[in-house]
Amino acid sequence: MYPLSDGISSECGSDKVPRSDPFTARPIDPVYHSSFVDEEGITKACGCPLIPLKTHIKGPAPVSDQDKIDIVDEAITFFRANVFFKNFDIKSPADKLLIYLTFYINVALKRLEGCRTLAVGTKAIINLGLEKVPVPGEPGFPFPGLFSVPRSQDEAELFRNYLKQIREETSGRLLNCAYRPNGTPNKWWLAFAKRKFMNIVVL
Amino acid sequence: MDAASRPAVVIDNGTGYTKIGFAGNVEPSFVIPSVVAVNESFLNQSEGRSMGNYIAQYNAGIMADLDFFIGEEAVSQSRASGIYNLSYPIQHSKVTNWDTMEKFWQQCIYNYLSCDPEDHYFLLTESPITSPEDREYMGEIMFETFNVPGMYIALQPVLALSAGCSTPKPQMTGVVVDIGDGATHVVPVVDGYIIGSSIKSFPISGSDITQFVLQLLRERGELIPPEDSFEIARKVKEMYCYNSSSIVKEYNKYDKKPEKYIKQWTGVKPMTGVPFSFDIGYERFLGPEVFFHPEIYVDDFRTPLPDVIDMCVQSAPIDTRRGLYKNVVLSGGSTMFKGFQKRLQTDLKKIVDDRIAASNARLGGDVISHPVEVNVVSHPVQRFAVWFGGSVVSSLPEFHESCHTKEDYDEYGASICRTSPIFKGMY
Repeated sequence: MYPLSDGISSECGSDKVPRSDPFTARPIDPVYHSSFVDEEGITKACGCPLIPLKTHIKGPAPVSDQDKIDIVDEAITFFRANVFFKNFDIKSPADKLLIYLTFYINVALKRLEGCRTLAVGTKAIINLGLEKVPVPGEPGFPFPGLFSVPRSQDEAELFRNYLKQIREETSGRLLNCAYRPNGTPNKWWLAFAKRKFMNIVVL
Repeated sequence: MDAASRPAVVIDNGTGYTKIGFAGNVEPSFVIPSVVAVNESFLNQSEGRSMGNYIAQYNAGIMADLDFFIGEEAVSQSRASGIYNLSYPIQHSKVTNWDTMEKFWQQCIYNYLSCDPEDHYFLLTESPITSPEDREYMGEIMFETFNVPGMYIALQPVLALSAGCSTPKPQMTGVVVDIGDGATHVVPVVDGYIIGSSIKSFPISGSDITQFVLQLLRERGELIPPEDSFEIARKVKEMYCYNSSSIVKEYNKYDKKPEKYIKQWTGVKPMTGVPFSFDIGYERFLGPEVFFHPEIYVDDFRTPLPDVIDMCVQSAPIDTRRGLYKNVVLSGGSTMFKGFQKRLQTDLKKIVDDRIAASNARLGGDVISHPVEVNVVSHPVQRFAVWFGGSVVSSLPEFHESCHTKEDYDEYGASICRTSPIFKGMY
């Protein structure tokens, strides 16, 4: 920095504005991010805030207001765009949850692929919900390294229950989109069952 | 009436389409797919068959030179009878098969334009990545086979610039973004000279978008007859695709008013004549989105097109950069998506403005730099910008002096074509 004669050093303000070197590409950031960046007073587990949900399902998540958008709404709205991308820039811990939910929606759609009616679809989704939900650190968790490993058994169970709750809530709202009012499948949503989010092959 | 007083023949060979016509016209007389259907059924046949076969083979050998089709006829002939094989002489804007290319030009000149090559000067185009050997072959074919009095090999981006002018005097400084069927290049041109070291290429082009649209349609389970699928996807892309400002907003628009946005495509199957139809939805805006987010289609390339253009300008000499940003010219069929120009301008302006803001902040607000004007130019002849530029250039009085002439060729050989005056001094 150039020392000025009146003693004021010129701070470059580098913490306010990111330096951009013209010869390297700026950070690519195509995806849509969660707006839940404020984490005041929210319990955390595995490095992830347990964000409030608008849900009637029992579980550890705090209840949110009915007319606000919650993270499940965000995941569903952004799913059809985010499912195409393979690289993410994580702006806040809520984005980690968004990624997990996007993956879960992809899995759920794959289960719904053969189901011709809403009733059959609902049954398939219930089966999916009964399966064991892995937490970070256990084999079978889709994003090793995304979340931090739980430090105690209690934390693991808390996170597992939160995941179960958020998955059930997402499934319910997804069935709303994936099936038309008369019960037939909506091809515009089910087409995304064939997409492989992050190139992870879903069994 | 000698060759110089007749209009020159302008041929723009692209990977997907070839544009041919005469100088002085506003648009090319013919736009034909760059494909040749050759009859190869009599090659590789063993000798010593029956008498009748021998005569047929002899006749075919005599006539084999003339037994081929180009363009749309080639496609329909190859479909109709099984003896024709399609061959694409130009891959990714480079000529790979010179024999086929010669056949192609032969039919262009004699069948389509119906002119005598000895009476006209020729203007051919080449992409910025052609090697000097390719220019030599081009010259050899033109002078030896067709006996042209003179020819000029022009660079496609420079011609596109002279087409993309809004003022009477063409602005010869600018970045040409040429997105064709087979290759995409971002080429900076300063005062008519290409800055070779700053040319950037982008791996997505028109045919990739068509493939992506087809992939999306198939994933949704739309019924498309397999023999025509690529052609249908291409037509869908050309008629219905557009660029949006944000994918999520478009999805919401489609959810709210499906009848306004979801279109139907009806057609007739060529083999059976049975009519079919399918819906066209999200691929309308997802297709061209690949230019701005390549990773939705390719795995290994992540840099969006506005960033590539920015990197290209930043690698050009510093005194040229403002002029380059001011005149980003679009050329090629795949730049014609509705909303493409606007989206490219918005994104590129954002990159440039962010950089200026960062640099101003770094200087603590003492020095405020002039805002950089970013202008992405689109114009009515975008589709044939290169051809149109060629038509303009070859109508100029100085054109005939800059051509390589037959006399020079006879005297010095094909190597006169190696050097391109635009790349003078490089190779």
